[in-house]
Amino acid sequence: MLNIALPKGRLGDKVYELFASIGYDCSEIYSDNRKLVFENEENGVRYLLVKPSDVAVYIAHGAADIGVVGKDILEEGDFDIYELLDLGLGKCNMCVAAPNDYVEDFDRPLRVATKFVNIAKNYYISLNREIEIIKLNGSIEIAPLLGLTDVIVDIVESGKTLKENNLRVYEKIMPISARLIANKSSYKFKGADIDRLMQKLQEELAK
Amino acid sequence: MEEFLATMSKEDSLNYELSMLYKQWGYKEYRMAKFEEYSFYSDNRDFLSGKGILAFNNSDGRLMALKPDITLSIVKNAKLTCALTKLYYNESVFRMSDSTMDYKEIKQTGVEVLGKVDDYLVAEVLSLAAKSLKTIDKDFVLSVSHMSFIPSLLSELGIGENARKEIIRCVNGKNTHDLRSICEKNGVSADKTELLAKLAGINGRFDDVIPVLADLACNEEMKKACDELSFIAASMRKSPLAERLRVDLSVLNNTEYYNGIIFQGYVEKAPSAVLSGGRYDKLAGKLRENTQAIGFAVYLDNLNLYYNKKREYDSDILILFDSADSSENLLALVEGFVDKGFSVRAEHTVPEGYRAKTVYAYENGALKEVTSC
Repeated sequence: MLNIALPKGRLGDKVYELFASIGYDCSEIYSDNRKLVFENEENGVRYLLVKPSDVAVYIAHGAADIGVVGKDILEEGDFDIYELLDLGLGKCNMCVAAPNDYVEDFDRPLRVATKFVNIAKNYYISLNREIEIIKLNGSIEIAPLLGLTDVIVDIVESGKTLKENNLRVYEKIMPISARLIANKSSYKFKGADIDRLMQKLQEELAK
Repeated sequence: MEEFLATMSKEDSLNYELSMLYKQWGYKEYRMAKFEEYSFYSDNRDFLSGKGILAFNNSDGRLMALKPDITLSIVKNAKLTCALTKLYYNESVFRMSDSTMDYKEIKQTGVEVLGKVDDYLVAEVLSLAAKSLKTIDKDFVLSVSHMSFIPSLLSELGIGENARKEIIRCVNGKNTHDLRSICEKNGVSADKTELLAKLAGINGRFDDVIPVLADLACNEEMKKACDELSFIAASMRKSPLAERLRVDLSVLNNTEYYNGIIFQGYVEKAPSAVLSGGRYDKLAGKLRENTQAIGFAVYLDNLNLYYNKKREYDSDILILFDSADSSENLLALVEGFVDKGFSVRAEHTVPEGYRAKTVYAYENGALKEVTSC
């Protein structure tokens, strides 16, 4: 039995459809209830629906064997897991965004608002740029508009929210997409099952 | 003895069983102090890879550290009286916990061999590592790698330190998609990139993998590493544990300290490696002249959690007695049960939540079965 952690929400729905298309379906998942665990013994899968930011935690602690998670979550945390496949779903970019008329002042530390503290820190370390981070948990775009910070570090999908708030992409940090991850111990004992699933995923994604 | 071990926690029974195993193989117990000068660990901070050092000032003002690592201390302090020193230990280390971000006492047991390490010793230590894992759980996997494979290839690529670190991180995570893009960004040729990706993905039985590695080996170091792995495969072939060994080149460690064979052990119920070790001639040579070394550590913390022994009863027998009554025969009766191999508790009342197979009341110098609880 493979325990698969999926992120609740739009990405999780897409990933489930992908898994179902390669023979790992579990029709119970569509039932309208509050259950978070769905099992199809015949297909040898058990799906766990968890908060997207918790998928990697479940995998790292062995509560699930494999899972799908955004690269942003993996980069922000430090998880001892295998990252086996880039599924190419949920593509977006981790960016530095700033007001349209922003001109960077190199005379002082840069003030950055973000919920991705580690990604922002590592990025500016690589540029040898001194920064001050203000951690926010949502509506990050507001920070530079109110003068709280100079820039933000956040995920940009279409850029619509930025545009509506008179912001623009100032620098691209890294591309983000959904990744198939596995617990290291699970891979040692269920490696054949995980490799088989991965092979089918690769074939399906190549179509 | 088995009944006795069954009454102990997993951590305690492993401590005992592994000590017996290492003794049987001629290893001597090494005991050490809990503290060491802080400067020793700070000089070798890279080896500790950010595990955090708990420091304090002792009475004469010297900065001391609670041991964050056993290997460093053994290599520095052990008396090397003969050509080969074989030691085992049962100690606690104090490190930052990844989950709580606070300091934690971690119990470790393991072996270290110092002196001239040859192919036989590598096979012996690997065999002991496999036996240690089997003692924890018969369902185990020992992943073996060689530091000359991927690092020697990386040295040929002419890439910077940051790119090297990023590639090693990808190899550790079997992340071939990001590995390819990092290689492309750093001008690594397509054939070397594919070779790296193939090596990172290698995970299989020795006999299946060694011919593949022999084909992929493209420099002298890789060919020598292949020969070493072949020797291990041949040495271990007759062992029933050989089928539990895998070659997995994604296992990599700090190249400044480790060389040759390195390995990690997994058991089915634990989510991360419970054993880690390898050959560390570079570290040993740094601290002691002309000394080679190999060893491993078994991480005993958390094993109680994954191997929780659920016992039906707290003891076989519970004897209830009234201290007002004469109890001159009671000790002899308790000893009689214990000598027969039963676990016994003598009490005035039944402790809350206590479960005993048989409950006796001690009255007038004799036992009377009352009821089970």
